[in-house]
Amino acid sequence: MQVSGTFLAFAVLSLLTIGGAVFMISFTRVVHMVISLGVTFLSIAGLFVLLEAEFVAISQILVYSGAISILMLFGIMLTKHDAKDEGVSKANKGWLSILVVAVFFVIAFWGIQSTPWVAPPDNAAAVQEDNATQLGVEIFTRFVIPFELTSVLLLVALVGAIILAKKEEDNE
Amino acid sequence: MEQLLQQSTSLSTVMMFAAGAVVLLLIVLGFVTYAIYFERKVIGWMQLRVGPNRVGPLGLLQTVADVAKLLLKEDTRPKHADKALFALAPVLAYAPAFAVLAVIPFTDTLHFADLGVGILYYIALSGITVLGVITAGWASNNKYSLIGGLRSAAQMISYEVPLVMSVVGIILMTGSLNLKEIVYAQQDVWNIVPQFLGFIVFIIAAQAELNRTPFDLPEAESELVAGYHVEYSGFRFAMFMLAEYVYMFGMGALVTILFLGGWLPIHPALDFIPPVVWFILKFSLYVFFQFWLRATMPRLRADQLMSFAWKGLLPLALVNIMLTAIFISYQSGMM
Repeated sequence: MQVSGTFLAFAVLSLLTIGGAVFMISFTRVVHMVISLGVTFLSIAGLFVLLEAEFVAISQILVYSGAISILMLFGIMLTKHDAKDEGVSKANKGWLSILVVAVFFVIAFWGIQSTPWVAPPDNAAAVQEDNATQLGVEIFTRFVIPFELTSVLLLVALVGAIILAKKEEDNE
Repeated sequence: MEQLLQQSTSLSTVMMFAAGAVVLLLIVLGFVTYAIYFERKVIGWMQLRVGPNRVGPLGLLQTVADVAKLLLKEDTRPKHADKALFALAPVLAYAPAFAVLAVIPFTDTLHFADLGVGILYYIALSGITVLGVITAGWASNNKYSLIGGLRSAAQMISYEVPLVMSVVGIILMTGSLNLKEIVYAQQDVWNIVPQFLGFIVFIIAAQAELNRTPFDLPEAESELVAGYHVEYSGFRFAMFMLAEYVYMFGMGALVTILFLGGWLPIHPALDFIPPVVWFILKFSLYVFFQFWLRATMPRLRADQLMSFAWKGLLPLALVNIMLTAIFISYQSGMM
């Protein structure tokens, strides 16, 4: 196998991605969990950069590392800021979880292996140069209906959240 | 290891990159040192005082002495603070502040990364600093710093929205997110003229992003002692201050590029003055504006701050986007 700078960067970033996720599960304090989740989000953005999808990488940082991590921190701090997780009992769940994880791995691996990957187009250089423009054009022409449906879905979620919060306020 | 470096990039190019970053860091540190000096001097003059004048000729070495004092101080940490996060927070706050400078084109030739999505890169990375600030506030285990951290995060997130929205007008006019292209598009007229509404929104939102007067609630001395960094001392405290002033450097450069025509001269006849001088002139104007505001404006109240962002600036920015879009489609003959 050829060891190049890209490969090294991929190894480090994927290690950070998985490491952040694993620490997120094993930490007991909620704030530590969010910070390690932030590490995962940032490393995923790095992986996008390796794939030359700059716009997606920046969106990943903007939305996940920026907005969502901070939103979670806010939620934690406004409720009880020195909360400690009780710790779920780990007994007798080992075999079952290994089985579930193994099945999931097999399915995911099989899915990746059997997907017919489209060969990169000839104008790969053009894709690199201006992928923000190309993304915009694709979204507003070919994928305009899914895009609009997603925005409606998000709006519904927003209104729903407001109604739920209002209900709790009335009960008090 | 040697093979590894030779495959894609050679050792000398990597060294060149590192040297470039170090030079930029030194320039930024020099800027911060004298920005603090001039801030104190200018505010002193505005308040009919002399300002620092003891250390060195005209007090020029005052900041150097202050920094030396900071670095020699004992590094204290509260007993019940969260050890790891307390150490991590200054890094989280400072690293993005320096990283955003990578996309700033100072002149046509003097720049580092020429990223296609330059403006978004700046905005996305500056969001990570909020994470550092909120972590610092929480890890200190002090109620003042927690309140300061929460205030800061709420403020920076709220004002990030109008900040991004006000730039959309420029992006529509230029048709690109690249900072160099945005400067090239201002050959005839600077963006401050056609995008005046956007400029006003941007300047106000930038002030809040920088946590500076009149939006310095996160550090309100009289209410919160010092805000999120109250428990920090010595080098770690210096990191937070440095991050703040480096953001001022970045924001000044961004305003210059987006609205004031970057390195372009004010009139083509003045072309003989080198572009970097033009850049520094416009940039200094913004920095002076900061000091002027600090000596002039009182601090806002927390609830006024939030309603101002959501009910005042955001609709204004949206109106600006609408007007720009209508104008552009009219110009290109779609209406």
